[in-house]
Amino acid sequence: MSTRRISAIFEKDLKDLLKNPMLLIPILIPVILALTFDRVTRTPEFPPAAAYIIIGGLFAVVTSGTILSMMSEEKEKKTLRGLIGSPASLLDIVIGKSMVTGIATAASLIVSALIVGIGTFLNVKTLAALILLFLFFLLLGVSMALFSKSTAATTGLLMPFSFLFGFTPMIGALNIVPEDGIAGRALGQFPVMQALELHQGGSWTSLGVMAVWTAGAALIAYLCFRKAMKDG
Amino acid sequence: MEQAIEVKGVSKAFGESTAIKSIGFNVKKGEIFGLLGPSGSGKTTTIKILTGELEASAGQVQVLGQHPAEFGSSDFKSRIGLLSDNSALYERLTVYDNLKLFCRLYDVPLQRIDEILQEVNLQDARKQTVSKLSKGMKQRVLLAKALIHKPDLVFLDEPTSALDPQNAAHIHLGLQKLNDAGTTIFLTTHNMEEAALLCDRVAFLHLGEFQELDSPEALRYKYSTHAFHVETFSGERLVIDNGPASADRIRELVAAGEVKAMHTDNPTLGQIFLKVTGKELEQ
Repeated sequence: MSTRRISAIFEKDLKDLLKNPMLLIPILIPVILALTFDRVTRTPEFPPAAAYIIIGGLFAVVTSGTILSMMSEEKEKKTLRGLIGSPASLLDIVIGKSMVTGIATAASLIVSALIVGIGTFLNVKTLAALILLFLFFLLLGVSMALFSKSTAATTGLLMPFSFLFGFTPMIGALNIVPEDGIAGRALGQFPVMQALELHQGGSWTSLGVMAVWTAGAALIAYLCFRKAMKDG
Repeated sequence: MEQAIEVKGVSKAFGESTAIKSIGFNVKKGEIFGLLGPSGSGKTTTIKILTGELEASAGQVQVLGQHPAEFGSSDFKSRIGLLSDNSALYERLTVYDNLKLFCRLYDVPLQRIDEILQEVNLQDARKQTVSKLSKGMKQRVLLAKALIHKPDLVFLDEPTSALDPQNAAHIHLGLQKLNDAGTTIFLTTHNMEEAALLCDRVAFLHLGEFQELDSPEALRYKYSTHAFHVETFSGERLVIDNGPASADRIRELVAAGEVKAMHTDNPTLGQIFLKVTGKELEQ
């Protein structure tokens, strides 16, 4: 791993992002969502389920969406081949490209948390959960970008995955699937639901479940990267 | 002499179809080697195998003394350069920012950017956004990107295809300078004049097989009829065999002051290619 190469990729991505307003718009979506929910909910404390709809949506739209757009554009325009062909390692590329996404996610998350009440998020368990959520959605975005054939196709992939993984609390809230059925119980194991459980006083096991999801996403991302290294 | 590339009995199949059929060749260090052939002949597949993008179905490959398993290492990647139809630039960034990224990835001082821009005749374009460049200018930036780290071996797939004659000549000079400094160049081109000008040796690849492999001069001699073509002031065009019996005839014409022009029958590389493969070269 080379910090010089990571910072070179980061600097390039930051310049590229600032010249691409389309990628900056999603950062505002969770903030707008938080403001709307804040106006609608009239309780003194922001309901955790509503907060995690915003947080889940934020990771899906900002984290997965940003890395997905950046990586799929690199793949489609064949610039990824240039990075892969350079002395930069797979880890240098992934970390370098993740840093801009990390900044975008952090900016959106901090502003949204300030709106919904940042106090409830400032504990070790919740912060660890947020880090795991970031890694999971980042790797999910990388996998989708490397798996899809074109930038247009990534949109088709992002929509269902965002809904399923990002807006899982909303699926429960809307009673789309029965809570005590197989599908409902399976959805309960999804990363955002585990983060919500942890937030509401759940055990460290939730963190373990989230770590398994993240490890699975890392494996899929690695396999997709290996394939991309061969295909260009 | 040490070999930069060693290929023995390499084949590549994609499902039922075979792109390369048991080819073998060596490229010496410091040599300019040209791989010539029409589209679909297997040129790009060969480059992809030599750069580790594809695995050969059979045979052995060694590049700069490394086996394909080592082609992914940072050390190997920093010793080779590649310009192919898969090469691309960041369109929203400037020429300078594109080259700066690769300077930093290859651990090259940033002063190299001005040096390489001069070599590809793009000094005035350093602050221009790539998306606003012409196709020929983009091709020259890609070439600069491939050469920025002064690789030991560079693979160039049609490096001058989008360039006008003036810029192509500029690139040819740059490549000759690079080669003089010790860089081995593996070149694919449809431009037979370019191959004849630059290459120490050329190989004709057709339907995945080598048809010929030698220096351009040796091939031209091999395929020459060795006859003399004489044009007289009276407008006659004579073809005189190269042999003792023809010497008197030529002497007579010269003595009589009738020879307007005389040359030997040396085919161009393009003509040789047509003869060998019976196929038109792609323009």
